Amino acid sequence: MKKMIIVLTTVAIISGTTLAIAYSAFLPLIQHNQQVALERSLGALFEQGESPEFSEIETEGPTIYRARVEGQVIGYAVRVVTTGYGGEIRLLVGIGPNLERITGMEVVEHVETPGLGGKIDEPSFKEQFEGLQPQQDIAYVKGGDTQAKENSIEAISGATISTDAVVSGINKTLDSALPALTDRAGEGEE
Amino acid sequence: MKNETLLTHFGKGLIQNNPVFVQVLGMCPTLAVTTSAVNGLAMGAATTFVLFFSAAIATLVNVIVPSQVRIPVYAVIIATFVTIADLILKAFFPPLSAALGPYVPLIVVNCMILGRIEAFATRNPFLPSLADALGMGAGFTAALMILGAVRELLGAGEIFGAVILGSAYPPMLIMILPPGAFLVLGILMALFNHLQEKDLPILRKAG
Repeated sequence: MKKMIIVLTTVAIISGTTLAIAYSAFLPLIQHNQQVALERSLGALFEQGESPEFSEIETEGPTIYRARVEGQVIGYAVRVVTTGYGGEIRLLVGIGPNLERITGMEVVEHVETPGLGGKIDEPSFKEQFEGLQPQQDIAYVKGGDTQAKENSIEAISGATISTDAVVSGINKTLDSALPALTDRAGEGEE
Repeated sequence: MKNETLLTHFGKGLIQNNPVFVQVLGMCPTLAVTTSAVNGLAMGAATTFVLFFSAAIATLVNVIVPSQVRIPVYAVIIATFVTIADLILKAFFPPLSAALGPYVPLIVVNCMILGRIEAFATRNPFLPSLADALGMGAGFTAALMILGAVRELLGAGEIFGAVILGSAYPPMLIMILPPGAFLVLGILMALFNHLQEKDLPILRKAG
């Protein structure tokens, strides 16, 4: 009885110590990787020659980053978290400085089925969001004619759930992000 | 002579007692992550890492662990190495870590690992246990990689991300979806057992 307790406790202590050491050894690298992934996605949102600097804006709603080049605000990046077919999808939407157009969409993290919903991370899908109106809900059409609906993208065939998750996630997040941004939109032009 | 026995311990995991095709162990990762060859390889490597170190520690502490608490003790040891494997993947291979998702932490409950520790590592000396762990790990990795390669080839026309079949081949999407895992595994398992029954000399030598 006593031996059981001693052995289990010792094993647990050694294991805990090992993990604490391993965790603190790898943590800087892991955080660095996450930061790199986030910055890469943020940078891809805007078509500026120089890479903009990003700073987080405090809001009660979604996380928003302000993008600046030499002090001039060139746009905003809004973080969107939505639930797709395989689990959480995290993405970023870039909006122009006057909230007049969407400048880009980047998927940061997703677990959608490769070859189907996984196509949300392909350029052909992401580029469709460029130039859409952020003020108005985005729609999606199946099988082709995006002229049929205003402010729409073409859904990925066979992956309506993933498409819908992305589109409705963006719509919902922008609904709460835009009012928070409207007050600040002019700040860059000072 | 001694090396030959170690080789035998190593070899039986590859063919004769292959954890996937013969023992049918660790089916969750086998079916879930083998959507591509590289995912299969990474999952196999992570599992082998965990199995190897857990078996090594288990053979060493075996004498002082009372048999009533052996399962919790081994579970803690396995969990420790799984967490380390997960951290290593996150730190050095972020794209792979993202692709394997929750299946890396789930190596803890891969019954192949506890199974090999219970059935072999705690009943055998140190070196044969390591050989057994490496052999089982290699057999598991090979099986997952073959499964992943077949599914990737049929489902996306690629192997290790390199286009093989080209645009003329319309990909059979079902192969990289969950049903494809069962179809390919079933066919490969039948093929494997058929070949073993034929008692080919290559298999006998390796086994």
